[in-house]
Amino acid sequence: MTLNWFVGTQPGGTIQEVAKRCTEQSNGEYTINVELLPTDASQQREQLVRRLGAEDSNVDLIGMDVIWTAEFANAGWLREFTGEDAERVTKDVFDSVIESASFEGKLYGAPFNTNTQLLWYRTDQVDEPPETWAEMIDEAERIGGFIQVQANRYEGFTVWVNAMIESAGTQILSGPEEVDLEEGSTTEALAMIGRLANSPAAPRDISTSNEDTARLGFEAGDSPFMLNYTFAYASAQANAPEVAKNMGAAVFPSVVKGEPGRPPLGGFNIGVSSFSEHPDEAFDAAACISSPESQLIATKLDGLPPSNETLYRDPVVRKAFPGFAKDVADSVRAAAPRPTTPAYTDLSLAIQRSLHPPDSINPDDPKPAYDKLYEAVSDAVKREGLL
Amino acid sequence: MERGTREYALWSIGIVLIVFVALLPVVWIVSLSLKEPSTITTGPGISVWDAFFPKEITFDNYKSLFEGGIDDSPFIKPLINSVLIALITTLISIVLASFAAYAIARLNFPGKSAILAGALAIAMFPPISTVGPLFDMWRTLGLYDTYPGLIIPYLTFSLPLAIYTLVAFFREIPWDLEQAAQVDGATPFQAFRKVIVPLAAPGVFTAAILVFIFCWNDFLFAISLTSSDASRTVPAALAFFTGESQFTQPVGSIAAAAVIVTIPIIVFVLIFQRRIVAGLTAGAVKG
Amino acid sequence: MEASGARMRLGRNRAPVSERTRSERRLGWLLCAPAVIAMLLVTAYPIGYAVVLSLQDVDLRFPEEGGFVGLDNYVAVLTSELWWTDLLNTVFIMVVTVAIELVLGMLIALVMYRAIFGRGLVRTVVLIPYGIVTVVAAFAWFYAFNPDTGFVNNLPLIGDETSWFGERFSAFAVIILAEVWKTTPFMALLLLAGLTTIDSGLYEAARVDGANAWQRFWKITLPLMKPAILVALLFRTLDAFRVFDTIFIMTRGAQDTESVSILGFSQLISRLNLGLGSAVSVLIFLCVLLIAFVFVRWFGVRMAEGRPGA
Repeated sequence: MTLNWFVGTQPGGTIQEVAKRCTEQSNGEYTINVELLPTDASQQREQLVRRLGAEDSNVDLIGMDVIWTAEFANAGWLREFTGEDAERVTKDVFDSVIESASFEGKLYGAPFNTNTQLLWYRTDQVDEPPETWAEMIDEAERIGGFIQVQANRYEGFTVWVNAMIESAGTQILSGPEEVDLEEGSTTEALAMIGRLANSPAAPRDISTSNEDTARLGFEAGDSPFMLNYTFAYASAQANAPEVAKNMGAAVFPSVVKGEPGRPPLGGFNIGVSSFSEHPDEAFDAAACISSPESQLIATKLDGLPPSNETLYRDPVVRKAFPGFAKDVADSVRAAAPRPTTPAYTDLSLAIQRSLHPPDSINPDDPKPAYDKLYEAVSDAVKREGLL
Repeated sequence: MERGTREYALWSIGIVLIVFVALLPVVWIVSLSLKEPSTITTGPGISVWDAFFPKEITFDNYKSLFEGGIDDSPFIKPLINSVLIALITTLISIVLASFAAYAIARLNFPGKSAILAGALAIAMFPPISTVGPLFDMWRTLGLYDTYPGLIIPYLTFSLPLAIYTLVAFFREIPWDLEQAAQVDGATPFQAFRKVIVPLAAPGVFTAAILVFIFCWNDFLFAISLTSSDASRTVPAALAFFTGESQFTQPVGSIAAAAVIVTIPIIVFVLIFQRRIVAGLTAGAVKG
Repeated sequence: MEASGARMRLGRNRAPVSERTRSERRLGWLLCAPAVIAMLLVTAYPIGYAVVLSLQDVDLRFPEEGGFVGLDNYVAVLTSELWWTDLLNTVFIMVVTVAIELVLGMLIALVMYRAIFGRGLVRTVVLIPYGIVTVVAAFAWFYAFNPDTGFVNNLPLIGDETSWFGERFSAFAVIILAEVWKTTPFMALLLLAGLTTIDSGLYEAARVDGANAWQRFWKITLPLMKPAILVALLFRTLDAFRVFDTIFIMTRGAQDTESVSILGFSQLISRLNLGLGSAVSVLIFLCVLLIAFVFVRWFGVRMAEGRPGA
């Protein structure tokens, strides 16, 4: 019997390797057939929802980005993990990751890999990593270099905005349809985004920046700071060894002095489709795909951080994240997942539309940006209006 | 007519400019596709020359497109899809359009102007207007992410284009020759095969090239109505290529794939330049 | 057209209709039927279905909800600032692109028509942009202007760090450049077809009367080419209004460069909000009808003279 696993491709070959391993482990009970989706998460989602919307029984297993859980679960496209299934896939997993695989208190995904952004800095230009965004911007302005972030109008911008708002001590939603956005903290976060975007420390291409332009900018050598996922380290080693030699990692800075920074959380969980005709085998396969052994394959081949806390002591992880495995674990632990709502796509588009380009936010008067954001988010959770 | 050197110089400048601008992006994408992946990044302080041309020529970007054979290569299956879907659409539209164009050019019947005007109106149709309903229909009919799922919408623009081009060509055919041949003792079929087919073939062929180029070009339907390599065509696949990691843009592979899908077009253009120009201008202005 | 129209009218007046005429009609309809039915099925039916969808609350992510909502979706679109911004963007791109193309296309057509040498070369070379896949052209220009991969910023007189896609109008400039590059050849070829219909004797006569080249262009070429120009304009205008591929590749609508087609796509495919998205689609369709109507009514373009292919 064949189980179809729809999942975004990983260039290192993780997906194929894990599928092979779990097929072998099943002792002939099932074969996992991989159906690769594009790398861009928004495009993966577009393709998956079209199949799921059509109740396609070809889909058995789904590689779900952490932000899709609520939307897919609410639409009735996912089976819940219960009892023993739930227990074995959440054992030793970071709480923040379990949260990202759950909707309304129920578990809908087996945590596979996680991902988080670290603050990367140049140890030859900066003595101590800054604790707050304000300090970091001051420091970059003093050095005359840039801070690399992701602020093109795409999901990565939502990632940044959410991390900033959470780091300022509030949140975007307090429930699937309840807007929180406490005014004082939110305006503080927005002011900081506006301050960076309007500062000489902002790269010229900030309003079109993404993970890739950020790492290219950092590798070019004129940026003392960068917020980016762990792939940036391996990339710098390959493309800019001089920069990689002086590359330090720290946890995402905070917005309010003394408060912890709340880094972004990425990664994939494995869901079981409601339309699968082989749910028992699919749950079994999901458990295998998300097992610690499989997570280590992902770390080894594609440098993806495991979602299992205990694995950060494993040599494979230490080798993939030399000297900063602990920072990665700390960062995942501190991470703030993006809001959980069935209307997540609308919400994210609304955030991007209301705050982009980032230099449109006046750091001295962030109130108009706040009002725009609040209105857009309120409409979006009700799925109203054009986006 | 006497023409001065000044005029001569003016034409030369014009021609050089046109050729330069028309070819610039093509040369650029070829150059990009031959760059070593690590040297694709440019930046301030480099001369234009160094930014434009590869330091060392490598075919790695092309090789990576075909690695893993048909199952794992991100490019082979979409390329096959593109070719087959464009060919099948071309075939269907040319057959249907030939009937219609023959009737319009040669027969007398009420409503033929309306058909021609209607075809024209459909050619101007904004494709985004049908994407939503087609998506919803294909979902329920099971045509989503299949060849017919793309071929059918492609008929919206390929049929009017084919009908138009063919009508223009068929009007120029001296149909009387057919009768003349019959008078000379040929059977109707012989007359058709020996006289009309050779006369009509260039027009049909030209229409086919134009329709093929059109199908080859589509992007909106391809990204909206497919979701896997089962039917995704190259333009859509290009937008979904993967880089070194989940977050890197595969500039080199995109450039290499872009060059490969451009080659057939350049070949067509070089071989059939006259035909294509004739096809595009045929029937454009009727007094 | 004129001739066949006259023949048709004649045919109608001639009563009674002969058996031969009747069978010719039948054959004509029979031969056209497959193409006509196919065209209706692939366009009229979906657009009808789009109208039906646009009157309902259909969101595939919320399968339980739904139902008839009247014109609510249209109200939501038309009261949204976004729709009007995007419509304005689209019209801006359309007008600027077509205007530049008309001038360039005319120059290229003149070169192709009158150049003493290299005519074949130019005709071949301009077909390359015409034939190239729009997405490929968009990527080529995108990578050329992108500061990380391009060469444009290394040209003299251009700022080394210019972020072309980071500002609205510089992004528009590149989008328009790519569109103009891709579609000017089509315009030029249509204009060339118009040029070839002009009787060269007229130029000789004007020359004898002492008219200079400029006067000959304004007094002879332009007036005689008016029908060809209008048809070319109509086709390119409607085509430019649909702009999607280039923007999708270059900015995906960021920096307020979004076109209405991208807006429709976002509602339909990203949000799966088929109701709202269909309302956008139907409105785009109405805009196209309006543009065609304006051309036909105000400029007197005869649709039957035109041709598709842009």
